Amino acid sequence: MADVDSAVKEAVVEALALDDDEVTPEATLMEELGAESIDLLDILFRIEKSTGVKIEASDLGDYIQGGISDDEFSDENQVISEVGAEQLHKVMPQTDPADLAGKLKADEVMTLFTVQNLVEMVSSRADGASG
Amino acid sequence: MTGGSRGIGRSIAEVLAAEGAAVAVNYRSGEAQAQEVVQTITQSGGRAAAVGGDVSEYAQAEAVVAETVAQLGGIHILVNNAGISKDALIYNMDPGEWLDVMRVNFGGTFNCTKASLGPFMSQREGAVVNISSVMGERGWTGESNYAASKGAINAFTRCCAVEFARFGIRVNAVLPGFAPTDMVAGLMDKDGGKGISKQIPMKRFATVEEVARTAVFLAGPDSSHMTGALLTVDGGVSAQVGIGKPL
Repeated sequence: MADVDSAVKEAVVEALALDDDEVTPEATLMEELGAESIDLLDILFRIEKSTGVKIEASDLGDYIQGGISDDEFSDENQVISEVGAEQLHKVMPQTDPADLAGKLKADEVMTLFTVQNLVEMVSSRADGASG
Repeated sequence: MTGGSRGIGRSIAEVLAAEGAAVAVNYRSGEAQAQEVVQTITQSGGRAAAVGGDVSEYAQAEAVVAETVAQLGGIHILVNNAGISKDALIYNMDPGEWLDVMRVNFGGTFNCTKASLGPFMSQREGAVVNISSVMGERGWTGESNYAASKGAINAFTRCCAVEFARFGIRVNAVLPGFAPTDMVAGLMDKDGGKGISKQIPMKRFATVEEVARTAVFLAGPDSSHMTGALLTVDGGVSAQVGIGKPL
């Protein structure tokens, strides 16, 4: 299996037609690199081809939410709860729960997802598959 | 190869096989005819398998693709050809008749395309050829349901081309005019098709092989930079104004 870091980086570079140095680990895929839903799909299929790790687009949301129910994850206005913010910090350690709870809309969480977060996700799936 | 047991579909299956493709000949009701196509191909040294299934139902379309992969080892080309017609004046048309035609013609195209996407996207390679019709671009009294289904296929072809290009999947369509198939048997019965053929600039119907060869061109490497194309094979029908007399 290809090295996950380089496989993810290569997938992002090729799918978004970016230069190598633009794709840093801390860059957010959607906000900073400009990925749209079809780009994410393309990135995931490229990663599958190079690493053998299959991730469906719908898995991204499930991974970020970590099995927490919608009612717990966000309030009735679809704003992230404290529980939700703690979960986001687990899968996106660069985030500060205090900045998110009560402020971030649930449908905006993907905007925080970085290249490094994707590397971690692919690595965890690869470990799960081999373990 | 959906609807591969007869007509244009059968010819495409045979030409594809002659070009070296292993062909899954899909049929809905014509099992014996599909087996005959398979036999013709295998006797000529090719590989083929008959795969039953009603592609107007998504679950069956998925099963057809899965069985194709299981029997032939993969899928690289999809030809969406299965089609029906139920001509009637709109005033007289049973509402169920437009839906039947739409479900098979456009629904089958949508279903099989979606069902094939997994393998195509994983291998980052695939060619889809949709068998449409000049009716999808022009009007014809009594064919509103058929023409609308083909117009939908044309629009779908363009959208698929744009959406799938980055995955290495090409999507094009063939738009036949008139070819001697069961679908135009009514026209042929009247006067041997003369009433129609004299209005075609080339003064004749297309042969099914002429349509098939265009489909195979779009499926193969010679059209490697083509996607979203709608190629008419109509002897000039759609190029003419159709009113008035020449000088």
